[in-house]
Amino acid sequence: MSISRRKFLGWLAAAGSSAVISKRADAASNKHFTGYPGSKGVLYDSVMCIGCRNCETSCNKVNDLPAPDKPFDDLTVMDAHRRTDAKAYTVVNKYQNPNYPKSPLYRKIQCNHCLEPACASACFVRAFTKTPSGAVTYNASVCVGCRYCMIACPFEIPAYEYDSAFSPRVMKCTMCHPRISKGQLPGCVEACPTEALSFGKRDKLLKLARERIRKYPDRYVDHIYGEREMGGTSWLYLSAVPFKEIGMREDLGVTPAPELTAGVLGAVPMVVGLWPVLLTGIYAINKRNQKVAASESEAAVADALGQATLEAETKLSEALAKAEKEKAEAVEQEVKKALEEAAKAQEEDESDEGEDGTGEIKTEEDA
Amino acid sequence: MIHKRTLRRWLGIITLASLFLFNSVAAYVVTASKGGKAAGRSDIITIDTMKSFGDLERPAVVFYHEKHSTAVEKKGKDCTACHLSENDRFSLKYMRQEDEASEAVMNIYHNNCIACHQETAASGDQSGPVECGECHKEKIEISSIWAPIGFDHSLHYRHAKAQEEKCGACHHAYNKTTKKLFYDKGKEGTCRYCHKAEAEENRISNKAASHMACIDCHRKTLAQKKTAGPITCSGCHNPADQELIATVDPVPRMKRNQPDAVLLKAVGKEQKNPDLVRMNSVPFDHMAHEKYNNTCRACHHADLNACGSCHSLAGSKESDNVKLEQAMHQLGAESSCMGCHAEAQTDTRCVGCHSSIPKNRMKNLNECGACHMTDPTGSAAGSGKLDGAVIADALLKSRTLLAGTYAEADIPEKVIIKRLADEYKPVELPHRKIINTLLNNIKDNRLAGYFHRENGTVCQGCHHNSPAAKKPPECASCHGLPFGEENIHKPGLKAAYHRQCMDCHDAMGIEKPVATNCTGCHGKKA
Repeated sequence: MSISRRKFLGWLAAAGSSAVISKRADAASNKHFTGYPGSKGVLYDSVMCIGCRNCETSCNKVNDLPAPDKPFDDLTVMDAHRRTDAKAYTVVNKYQNPNYPKSPLYRKIQCNHCLEPACASACFVRAFTKTPSGAVTYNASVCVGCRYCMIACPFEIPAYEYDSAFSPRVMKCTMCHPRISKGQLPGCVEACPTEALSFGKRDKLLKLARERIRKYPDRYVDHIYGEREMGGTSWLYLSAVPFKEIGMREDLGVTPAPELTAGVLGAVPMVVGLWPVLLTGIYAINKRNQKVAASESEAAVADALGQATLEAETKLSEALAKAEKEKAEAVEQEVKKALEEAAKAQEEDESDEGEDGTGEIKTEEDA
Repeated sequence: MIHKRTLRRWLGIITLASLFLFNSVAAYVVTASKGGKAAGRSDIITIDTMKSFGDLERPAVVFYHEKHSTAVEKKGKDCTACHLSENDRFSLKYMRQEDEASEAVMNIYHNNCIACHQETAASGDQSGPVECGECHKEKIEISSIWAPIGFDHSLHYRHAKAQEEKCGACHHAYNKTTKKLFYDKGKEGTCRYCHKAEAEENRISNKAASHMACIDCHRKTLAQKKTAGPITCSGCHNPADQELIATVDPVPRMKRNQPDAVLLKAVGKEQKNPDLVRMNSVPFDHMAHEKYNNTCRACHHADLNACGSCHSLAGSKESDNVKLEQAMHQLGAESSCMGCHAEAQTDTRCVGCHSSIPKNRMKNLNECGACHMTDPTGSAAGSGKLDGAVIADALLKSRTLLAGTYAEADIPEKVIIKRLADEYKPVELPHRKIINTLLNNIKDNRLAGYFHRENGTVCQGCHHNSPAAKKPPECASCHGLPFGEENIHKPGLKAAYHRQCMDCHDAMGIEKPVATNCTGCHGKKA
């Protein structure tokens, strides 16, 4: 179908103005969310970590996870970098220290319990909840197994039980939410011999981290990872070397994940709900206008045609009458003329008796 | 003729394809490794004289000096082949005394270098480049292993002896009025006091000065068939050759009329008012400290006078506004007393305890008296009754330089740590052995000995945050549950035990027991 340029621009303006005048979606992040007040977190100090894997052992025990392939006191598994998987909520990786090649550095990986989690934002069945205690918990009963959370997580933490045929779950650290609700420590924190893991209120942990950096500036990189990354996480990290060297992403920025998609997602109701109605309405009105205009113009045409015909007939009859009249007059005139001629001829005849006497009688035809 | 539409299509395809190709080729280009395949050289000179005339049109030339000096030597010539001499002093520049116009300098280089190269090539020897791009190279494959060299006590002693203690052979000063160099007896200092890294108005750079002075003298001495120092680049600047330089050990003390003991007073040239001086003067063992550094410059960074001559109490323009207090106490500064002492704490024998002690000298103000000693004779603060050196000497002698220890019977041999024994058995800590090791480490060090002179100071390495005592508190007296809201900075007992031991072992480089070997310290409970 061909629409005029004007119409197209008109539709565009209608759709566009509805987009502009509507309010931006408040996806929980048009203010800066600094966590529920009093929410807990964990500070992981990689300088104090000795890579003993006690945290992995304890996590496995506390969460009733299946036994690993290699026992937890086998430290050679750290020669390869691992990631969290369906059987391990947390793993410890070993990295080489560029300054002291003989003393490796360690890093514990687990869910960072972001203040504004990407997994919770991506999940359309609300399987993830950011609890006021700080933990991001997972509800397996509503999960549909789409694994959008695994795609959304910038730290690539959630793992999936691919081997489970009928009830696979997304597996990730829970910050031992049941335990901390009872006032206990998370399993990993309790097991750590050097207190490389510290548990407490997130703002207190930030103070602790800053104090450590202040006291020992040569030991620590002056940055607390997780303070603002991805909008802030409940799991904070301290390191002796740039965080890149211990396998952590430094390119994430400080925007929370939900805020990245808030704009687009906020537009969905408008695009899906408002625009069809609005644009269909405009279309319908236009179409109706067109129809009415068409019928009106048809009527006008017919009317004009009738008018014209009437006029023509009138003119014709007038012209005909006129013509008749003229004809009659002309005939009359001729007759008159002929009569006059005849009378004249007769007169001449009478006077012409004495002459030739060849008087021509002019007939009508000759006149 | 190709149809217009076909032509356009092909152009489009080629543009897109080339975009992809050019972008992906960059990913495959491997930048040349900076390390270089050839072994490093110590004689690399970058000829960028033309920089003084403006931006360089071509890359600076990389020149291997030793290659040329050996080649020139082989031909029976000497330094004069390239270096003009004037008044028996060599010009460090190539074939010229001064840099005149840019065109002239460029021509000097081009004409002379290329001519010599061509000559050498013509006579059949291996020669250097003659084409533009072969000298003006963008990428240099050979890395530089040039190492700086300076005088330490041993080298200076050897030179002084060779000159038969005639210091004026090297040391000079400059008279601004007569505009002449002269020998200022008694005021000899390092060349670096005047000759800085960059050349200044009427003063050559340190690099030029050292090359002119050192190489010239060596060359002349060698010409007299005597033993002398190196005249090649690598002889001084190649790390391997530096190892071959003979050292005298022990070095006899340099004779520069320096004091044995000094009483550091704040009153001096800058600070004339003795009333403003509130702290006791500090007796300083100058003779002992001479041995702790390779050069005098470690402390005498600007001249060989007393610190107080520039650093007044409130700072002066001469001292760059660095106050006396900073000059003496600034941590992290190499020339300050405390800075150097803090550096000494990073020795492997000391660092086990000292790495975890936060550097906060304001913590214990009673310790100021360790240096700012009260003079028992009552004439401290430079009242002038007795000579400063005499007072200082007396104060220094009154010091105990040995670490204080308790009687062996008072130091428990083994300490059983069983408070948290749960999965593991109690720890049998070899307490006395550890203390003896620490005391052994302190034994030969006067600095350590003095600061640990009081009994119980050594104990405070582990029994910290409490007064020194014969029976210091146990860890569990202060450390309990972790993560207390009020005590967020204090580790819990388990971490206190583990961190205290592990941090010390880690800092001191003790390999056994490994931190991750739990049973190495406490056996597992059955």
